[in-house]
Amino acid sequence: MKHYEVEILDAKTREKLCFLDKVEPHATIAEIKNLFTKTHPQWYPARQSLRLDPKGKSLKDEDILQKLPVGTTATLYFRDLGAQISWVTVFLTEYAGPLFIYLLFYFRVPFIYGHKYDFTSSRHTVVHLACICHSFHYVKRLLETLFVHRFSHGTMPLRNIFKNCTYYWGFAAWMAYYINHPLYTPPTYGAQQVKLALAIFVICQLGNFSIHMALRDLRPAGSKTRKIPYPTKNPFTWLFLLVSCPNYTYEVGSWIGFAIMTQCLPVALFSLVGFTQMTIWAKGKHRSYLKEFRDYPPLRMPIIPFLL
Amino acid sequence: MAAAAATAAAKGNGGGGGRAGAGDASGTRKKKGPGPLATAYLVIYNVVMTAGWLVIAVGLVRAYLAKGSYHSLYYSIEKPLKFFQTGALLEVGIVPSSVVLTSFQVMSRVFLIWAVTHSVKEVQSEDSVLLFVIAWTITEIIRYSFYTFSLLNHLPYLIKWARYTLFIVLYPMGVSGELLTIYAALPFVRQAGLYSISLPNKYNFSFDYHAFLILIMISYIPIFPQLYFHMIHQRRKILSHTEEHKKFE
Repeated sequence: MKHYEVEILDAKTREKLCFLDKVEPHATIAEIKNLFTKTHPQWYPARQSLRLDPKGKSLKDEDILQKLPVGTTATLYFRDLGAQISWVTVFLTEYAGPLFIYLLFYFRVPFIYGHKYDFTSSRHTVVHLACICHSFHYVKRLLETLFVHRFSHGTMPLRNIFKNCTYYWGFAAWMAYYINHPLYTPPTYGAQQVKLALAIFVICQLGNFSIHMALRDLRPAGSKTRKIPYPTKNPFTWLFLLVSCPNYTYEVGSWIGFAIMTQCLPVALFSLVGFTQMTIWAKGKHRSYLKEFRDYPPLRMPIIPFLL
Repeated sequence: MAAAAATAAAKGNGGGGGRAGAGDASGTRKKKGPGPLATAYLVIYNVVMTAGWLVIAVGLVRAYLAKGSYHSLYYSIEKPLKFFQTGALLEVGIVPSSVVLTSFQVMSRVFLIWAVTHSVKEVQSEDSVLLFVIAWTITEIIRYSFYTFSLLNHLPYLIKWARYTLFIVLYPMGVSGELLTIYAALPFVRQAGLYSISLPNKYNFSFDYHAFLILIMISYIPIFPQLYFHMIHQRRKILSHTEEHKKFE
């Protein structure tokens, strides 16, 4: 068995960073990254991007050295992805914030509204209901992060946590401020409107959860397999017949429900921004599915049945 | 900032009316440019914009000579200013790079023209308005003629020099004018409750335009130095590169 030699150069400066000899031909990129970390401990594997071409795509951790288009002396180019943080950490932080922040406004903690309102309670039922829904939503997200989701990537760039938390925490504070305001105006069509909105919200939350479970079941623990998702016995998953990312569809639906329930413009704006972002993600995911699977169901749209 | 962003976007990776095909920024000559039809469109666009800002420049001079003072000249160029600055929105689509930077630049200019100067009539007679109008006018005349000449592959060094040098004075001048104008508008906005909505209302929303304007002013603090130093950096890169090229001719 012939051993490989691997030299790792900086993608920008072409400086020789590391030379590995006696590398097994069936070594994976992940193993090479570990070897590289030994000589440069500040670059832990998660922040390494190794590629065959300085401007090319990153190699995957699972790629095997002898399967790559390289000679027995392989040249890999290294790019520092910057400090990394785990997806789980980011998700937990960005979701715990809104849960906590909303409650600060709900309980009318001092210095938010006038002093005469400190620790008072709203007289509108819908305000209490909204607090339950909003809190439920983020508790569900936290639990899903811990027990349901199987992430493809371990880490993301550190700066994302600041960006993401600003978004989630900022909007949560903005919405919560108005819903829990002493001058809050309840929905125009009263209990009818609230009941309808609540129904939409609950159905979409159940739908979203069903999709998350279905996606989890597609992928064995610890793996990164990708398969075409299909409807299961659960009626909520039948939306897979029409869209690639029904989890996003249901998520938008939940927030539209919440917006109708609270009749609060900031909630509607938050829904709109979220919808825009999720549409971008859904389109990307849809494109990946189409690229990877020749037999992908043609009827499906990314996020909105028949439309988008 | 609108003044600076214009120059920064233009110089950084090219904002404004089409620099495709022109050796720009990094000095690398990109052979692939727009097709002949697109080039024609871009040339016409840039020529029209150059002409438009020249009209504004001439309008200012004539009004100054007629009035005998430099106060309240805004009224004489109000219409072409609104027309040509708003027209710059068209640039956002045709710029090959950094849609973000270009739209930011155009939006901030349009904001100043419509949401501040037009909306708060009392500031229209302020001298600060003249300050940013002059800064923008000179900058835009140079910038659009730069693009025109670049597209025609015949860029006089003087224009390139002007574009990458005059900003040193014009940018702070423009920013000062903009900030002073916004500041002058504040009391009138507060008094009239302009563009503001308060609770209670059935959409459970509020907006304080006065506070918003103050936030805008504060945002100049982080943004202005970044854009300014970016342009200084670009200047060093491009003007020294040209010097080298000249050496080898």
